[in-house]
Amino acid sequence: MPMLFGDLFIHLTWANALALVLLGLVGGVISGFAGSGAAFIMTPGMMNLRVPGVVAVGSNMAHRFGNNMMGAKRHAGLGNVDKRLSILLLVTAVIGVQIAVWINSTLFKMGGGEGHEGGGGAMSNLYISLIFIGVLTFVGAFMLRDAVRPRDSKEGSGPSMKLANMLSRLPLPPYVRFPVADVRISLWLVLLLGLVVGFLDGTVAIGGFLGVPAMIYLFGVPTTVATGSELFMAMFGGAWGAISYAYQGFVDLRLSCLLLLGSLMGVYIGAYGTKVVKEVLVRLVASSIILLCVVSRAVAVPVYLRQLNFLHFSEGWEPWLKGVSTAILFAAGVGGAGLVLFYVVKATLERRKVHSTLLVRKAAADGRVS
Amino acid sequence: MPIVFVSGVPFGGGERLAKELARKLGYAFLDREEVVARANESGIPVGKLEVALVKKPAVQERMVRLRDRYLAVATATICEKAAAGNLVYYGRAGHHLLPGVGHVLRVRVVPEPARRLETVMERLRLPREKAEKFIRDVDEDIRAWVRFVHDVDMEDLQKYDLVINLEKLSLENAAAALCSIAELPDFRPTPASQAAMQERLLRARARIRLALDERTADADLTVRSSEGVLTITYVPRQAQLAPLIPDVLGDLPGCREIRCTMASTNILWIQEAFRPDSGTYREVNELARRWGAAVELLQYRAGGEEGEAVPVEVAPAAALKAGTGGVEDDLPEAAAGGADRSFERTLEALVQEGRSGGGHTVAGGRDRLVGAISRSVPYSLVVVDNLFLDKSPAARTRMTRELAMFLTDHVKAPILSTADLSSKLHLGRGEVLKAFAAGALVVLLYCAIFLRQEGLLNVLGGEAHKAAPWVASVLVALLAPVVSVLYGNLLASAMKWLKMD
Repeated sequence: MPMLFGDLFIHLTWANALALVLLGLVGGVISGFAGSGAAFIMTPGMMNLRVPGVVAVGSNMAHRFGNNMMGAKRHAGLGNVDKRLSILLLVTAVIGVQIAVWINSTLFKMGGGEGHEGGGGAMSNLYISLIFIGVLTFVGAFMLRDAVRPRDSKEGSGPSMKLANMLSRLPLPPYVRFPVADVRISLWLVLLLGLVVGFLDGTVAIGGFLGVPAMIYLFGVPTTVATGSELFMAMFGGAWGAISYAYQGFVDLRLSCLLLLGSLMGVYIGAYGTKVVKEVLVRLVASSIILLCVVSRAVAVPVYLRQLNFLHFSEGWEPWLKGVSTAILFAAGVGGAGLVLFYVVKATLERRKVHSTLLVRKAAADGRVS
Repeated sequence: MPIVFVSGVPFGGGERLAKELARKLGYAFLDREEVVARANESGIPVGKLEVALVKKPAVQERMVRLRDRYLAVATATICEKAAAGNLVYYGRAGHHLLPGVGHVLRVRVVPEPARRLETVMERLRLPREKAEKFIRDVDEDIRAWVRFVHDVDMEDLQKYDLVINLEKLSLENAAAALCSIAELPDFRPTPASQAAMQERLLRARARIRLALDERTADADLTVRSSEGVLTITYVPRQAQLAPLIPDVLGDLPGCREIRCTMASTNILWIQEAFRPDSGTYREVNELARRWGAAVELLQYRAGGEEGEAVPVEVAPAAALKAGTGGVEDDLPEAAAGGADRSFERTLEALVQEGRSGGGHTVAGGRDRLVGAISRSVPYSLVVVDNLFLDKSPAARTRMTRELAMFLTDHVKAPILSTADLSSKLHLGRGEVLKAFAAGALVVLLYCAIFLRQEGLLNVLGGEAHKAAPWVASVLVALLAPVVSVLYGNLLASAMKWLKMD
């Protein structure tokens, strides 16, 4: 199918428009459930729908800009936002976003692989995929390990704090105390995290996905405050990224609007899921989805390598590889969202069954239980 | 006679003063070391907890759990020892373990700095510089500990009845002065204050029992008690614990009844008078149903500023007055609940609905109210209404608003009045109109975007974009949030209408 305006924008049909809404819904359910952005499924999902990687990132950022605003407002109302932490992260996140936009735009303009998936941006697609695979393999594996490892019963089911404790012992003054998160962190670590989050946000729109676990695991910030503060920061960082990508001509607002239709609704459903499902299970489902997304992207990498003449194999393999990549991605997304919905329905039914109040009369000479 | 809590810092003379006071009064003496030893026996590594708090950056879930257990052990140890007779306790702001207990004398000892420094140098064999650093570090660690354990600033002198500065006063004379004060009627126990202490003891014992039993040790349970009724709240994912809890707490002394309520979260409902047939009850209950929340009732009778006497109109309290030298700290809960038993009926109605998070009564100043709100319960909402009933409607509105603002600074959950709650629960006509308007605008915007794709894409990445790239930035900056806000509001209203928010 021909692209519009050179290699930038896809032709919208009813089928791919519906696929984008569904992608948004699946992403929203997972996002609301896992408490972090779902660009890890939306960005490659859009790329599988032939959207160039850089446009997928730019449009996703535009879609998240508004989404984050609603999320940040909700979290701020619940007192989950540490504005001091958000603002300090934002200072370097903006620089990180700008670096990422520049690299992505430059690689896209270098072209490569005309007429193939993602138009002429094979170099950019390869770069985005490699960053995606590298970062999310680490995050997914860490979360999976943390979710499945046996725990000391005294340790509780919260996230592991080993890294946070190790970092806290590093002598890196000055330190800043964050009142809402109730943590004391070296300013340099905060600024460094902001830069990395901004860079990843600008590169693959998954900055939040690294930022939230990093705040929890590295800084020891409570989960709700990490999510609220990241959303507050991402509201500004995402806005800056979306505006920058739009200036470079890499935002397709049609895609942003279609994603939004599904994702906002999905967030409501996913958020409800967290109330009724064990935290360990939340981490298990989220990490499994992430790792499947990584596999999906890894399957697509040989296609870009071939388009750039780094790898040689028959062209007949390309549709197969792309098909497998898309299948794994959608299986991960639909499976993950389906699992969340399954648990939500199951928990709702269980709650009806359980006698919510047990009244035990101890009056009891006889010790009866009523 | 009161329980005397002496708070001080190491090598500051406070411990010697407390021992001297106990000797002069003939009271039993208990210090923090004994409490810590008992906590260690109960499997709470207090030393490690202290080190973790000082060295580590964040208060972690496990630390909070251990803290709550430590508080339970400390409360139980003090209450048990005090129940056997009179008591002088030396520690770090230990009086915060017994909020609402009136027969407590809270003393802060301020050391003489030079003497303290000499003592440290001599006992620890440290040079002056190191001794000074040691004192600074120890004081900072203790402040952090008190902030973590009691959520108060140890240096806040308003939290003490008496501050003894040892700069001029000798230990002997300071102890003599304290002896006289401890015998004042202001600090004498009343049936109400003793009942409050029994409640604290019951709650603490229940916590310890649940923490020590391997079946419930890792569970996220909240424990409340009132008049011997224990209310245990557990989260839905731990529903299998419900039948175990009565087994674990089965033969707890002083416990009349155990109520187990499943709840994802807690709503605290503060009023002066409760009625199970009121509109507010229906709305709070409706919200609790939607959220899967437990509702905790807190009956509050304002009595002016802290320490000010609360007028008592019921007979049992009048009887108390005679023994308190004219000053009373609080009311027996049943008495304050009123003769019509509407508070109890409301609580029973919640129990029947399976949403009871317990209920209790407090009277006095704002600080007393804050002290009655548990820090270990994760409230999602506090509903405040129907207070100051003896005031005119205008004054009632103003005072309720002021109290809500005061609570905002002390409670992390949002504070709502009944009117706010109603508007949050129900779709008003204005909100329906807004939702329609938002829906219409969303449709218009989507039509504009998808019916004129060519023009839009030209601005976003075509020739028009090359001529003026900033227009694309402005378009994205405006359209993305506007569509999100409009569509988000539309969805929020739809969810509210479907009662799924």
